[in-house]
Amino acid sequence: MPARDKRHQEVIKKIKLMMSDISRNVLSEKVLPVLDITKVGYDNTIWSEEKRMLIIGPKTVQISPENTKKIPTFSQYIVMANAVRKLLDEEMESTIRGMYYATLSTIGDEKNKQKFWNTQDNSDDAIKAIELITGVPREEFAVTSKPKGMISGPITLRVGGDLIDCNLGSRATSQLVPTNIRDLEIVNVKADFVMVVEKDTVLNNIRKSGFIQKYNAILMTGSGEPDRATRMMVRALNQEWKKPVVIFADADPWGLGIALRYKIGSESLSYDSERLVTPDAKVLGMMFSDIYDYNIPEVARLTASDEDLNRATDMKRKPWLKDRKWQKELNLFIQRKEKCELDAFFKHGFRYLAETYLPQKLRESGVI
Amino acid sequence: MKQRSGTEITTQIKRMQAGTIPHNGKVRYDRKAESEFFVDNSALAGFTGERILYMAVRELIENALDSCEVNHILPRISLSLKIHDSLNDMWIITCEDNGVGIPADKVPVAVCSFLTSGKYVERQQRGLFGVGLKMIAAFSTKDTDHPLKVWTRTLDEADEFYFELRTDIGTNKPIVLSRDTNNEEYSINSKSGFKIEAMLRARLSPITKNKIYDYISQTSIVNPYAVIIFTTNEGSVIFERRTKNMPDASSEVLPHPSDMDLKTLKRAILNFTNQKTTLHGILCNSFQKMSGEKAKEILSRAEVELKVATKYDEHELIKIVNACRQTKFQSPNTDHLSPVGEHILTAGMMEEYSIVTKKENNSHNELPNSQLSVKVLKPALTAYSSKTCIINNRATVVECGIAYGGNINSFRLYRFANKIPLLYDEGSDVAREVVSEVEINKMGITKKDVKEQFSNPEMKSDRAIELLPIHIFFHICSTKIPYKTAGKESIASEGSLKKYMRFCLTDLYKRVSAQIRKEIRIKEAENRLRLYKHYIPLIVDAISESINIDAKKLSDAFTSLVETHVGEINVISAHSSHKVKDYKVPRGELDESKSRNNSLNRFSLTDTRISNIRGRKTGRARKH
Repeated sequence: MPARDKRHQEVIKKIKLMMSDISRNVLSEKVLPVLDITKVGYDNTIWSEEKRMLIIGPKTVQISPENTKKIPTFSQYIVMANAVRKLLDEEMESTIRGMYYATLSTIGDEKNKQKFWNTQDNSDDAIKAIELITGVPREEFAVTSKPKGMISGPITLRVGGDLIDCNLGSRATSQLVPTNIRDLEIVNVKADFVMVVEKDTVLNNIRKSGFIQKYNAILMTGSGEPDRATRMMVRALNQEWKKPVVIFADADPWGLGIALRYKIGSESLSYDSERLVTPDAKVLGMMFSDIYDYNIPEVARLTASDEDLNRATDMKRKPWLKDRKWQKELNLFIQRKEKCELDAFFKHGFRYLAETYLPQKLRESGVI
Repeated sequence: MKQRSGTEITTQIKRMQAGTIPHNGKVRYDRKAESEFFVDNSALAGFTGERILYMAVRELIENALDSCEVNHILPRISLSLKIHDSLNDMWIITCEDNGVGIPADKVPVAVCSFLTSGKYVERQQRGLFGVGLKMIAAFSTKDTDHPLKVWTRTLDEADEFYFELRTDIGTNKPIVLSRDTNNEEYSINSKSGFKIEAMLRARLSPITKNKIYDYISQTSIVNPYAVIIFTTNEGSVIFERRTKNMPDASSEVLPHPSDMDLKTLKRAILNFTNQKTTLHGILCNSFQKMSGEKAKEILSRAEVELKVATKYDEHELIKIVNACRQTKFQSPNTDHLSPVGEHILTAGMMEEYSIVTKKENNSHNELPNSQLSVKVLKPALTAYSSKTCIINNRATVVECGIAYGGNINSFRLYRFANKIPLLYDEGSDVAREVVSEVEINKMGITKKDVKEQFSNPEMKSDRAIELLPIHIFFHICSTKIPYKTAGKESIASEGSLKKYMRFCLTDLYKRVSAQIRKEIRIKEAENRLRLYKHYIPLIVDAISESINIDAKKLSDAFTSLVETHVGEINVISAHSSHKVKDYKVPRGELDESKSRNNSLNRFSLTDTRISNIRGRKTGRARKH
């Protein structure tokens, strides 16, 4: 039964090609097959000055039954590839957890049984490998994760056949960013700019204040570490719809790290940066200097841990934080050893963040 | 009771005999007969409640072996332990050997009188104190109305003698109930020998029963030249003779001068009272390693005047003793020791007998019947190493053996002292320390190798050596074994004993290293193949579900490919010493695979996403 989606057809074709290559290796060439897969992680991630993002390096790993230790990995990839093919043949979609369950089995005889997957991490890795082998991101072969990104504002989406207006008049709720991006389409964007904040609690506060209506903005959050759908949405709004993107995160190395996920990408997904990263996004806050410029009372500041300080020292050396503004900010942090959450502005009043701090920062950078 | 130093016992006896009992405000001094003393303090000889039967078995087997070895007779021992009256815990124990026997006139005292022995000489024997057999006699007298029955035949006497004996515990004297000679129907089936039958009252717990089985099994390892027939109510087992070689019998030696004390010196002088020998001559004739020169040196160092030997007083003699202690002598000789030797220990290790009980469930509501049988372990390889050293001024021989693989499937440490198995207190024994101190990498293998190939969930120990299917044997022989406790079940790390034991074990590890590495490689290959065979079906299923292909053909081809592959890995690792892991593809192949790489680069997509699949020839064999 042919699947209707063309992209899906392409994935199925690639998987089958891989399978027949392996069979040919084994049956006619009498050699053990080798999967040559791009290496993923910090040691194969490069900073591209030209693209202003983290990109994947040239290293590859060889997964082959030739190395006895790799035989479990090799078969995990093949089994996962077959599961993806089945999923697409059946025109279904699944979460990554669903794929883990679909492929669960035990290995070995009664005497020494072992699990096919030790944890879901192994199956997530296998899904990543299928992405690398087929060159197609998993969202496009219908394997998604639970949505956690949120969006509010004058933007209309089409999910499957349903139109969703995210300018949910009541100010009372936000729309989840759908993860099945194959079914997602941005229909219309009326906003002037996109503001991304680190956490959903902060987003709720800003939305409630009427910020969206007042400044004609789209509010988005990845609820901490952003998932791929949220990153892709931010990129699309910036690159395709030409909307300026600003990012606000907590004033600590962790928050800065999250802000940078949107702007330059991450090591674990550097192979997919071209689809996920928004190099033109501006990280506007919360700056370490804002702690003092906006008189956050001492009681609302937090003491930096050693881990925070190490991370900041590490960040200072990164090429993407080399400009004077960031060096100054990081030095300030290392010197004062104090960090602060966006929520700390509530100490100045519940409307202070949305009605004083944010407009001021946006005005300074010329967004409004 | 074996090997307790004479002085130790004497002191204990004296302390007991001086026992003061208040009576009418006056202290009464009594003398106790040796027999009464030992019966009252049976723990001194190891005869305590649970262990009575175990001790009885030990004493009888050890006496039997000693009695054969003294005349170089290949032992044939038949021991039987049967319940006579289970309500009253009455057991009949019988032991027959083909040793030298006991001359008829000596039988009553040899069997019944404590501290009477033909073994009070300076040489290695199992029994030393003349207590064990007497203990059986005394307990039999004490607890039962059954006389001790004894048969004996010696080569010198034509007849076989039969005695029925009891011990007069109050006087340490034998009571002969009857005595008979017989020259027709012999009860003893060999030219000479000794047979005893005793009734004992004792409990036999399953633990003790297993200790008895262990004891006999282990005795057979260091005495593979002996036939041991063991019979119980559960059946009968035979430990076959595996070699006709016997260790050279130990011979009596003169004491070594470094070990001299006032008592030995005075006795030496006493031996020469009737001869007009000088002290110089007495020294030369009474001690080993004492040359005329040395004796002269001692006398001048002691600064005593020359006179008739018997005229020296203790004050002068102690000067001589002191002089000896300060003088260096050659190491004591080892003629009085009787190590097992490479040939014999190897014979014992190559066919390791042990008793197993098979539980058989009889139908018809009967109790489960356990059946005795013998299991023979045959290792794939054995090795032997020994070292002679001086511990506490006594010559000591350390022997060590290793048996590996074959149908041995777990770790075990065996300890022997003067050919007697040590069964208790393994944890505190020096051998235990030595085994955990000698690094396994002396075998050329790493802990990681071992853990990867041999780890099994049932083994809790994380000591690598205990994961290996290996039996380690330690045998220490000396006339003075440095026991840790009065229980004489574990050996202390005295002097440099541990150093020599470590030396032996290290030596063995090195010697078996090549073989064990080979074994490990085979094991590795097996584990590899097993892993492949578990995963191949998954791969084949996934592929045959996705594309149209003959699953059976694919599976067969895959399996035969990995079989060749595993074979080649093994060959390669065999050549690259034990560095199995970093096997590099030879250059020629790399080039080849690169070109293949390009032609097969079908999965490389846009820009950065490169992935492809290619084949690679396995191993060196296919290099053109």
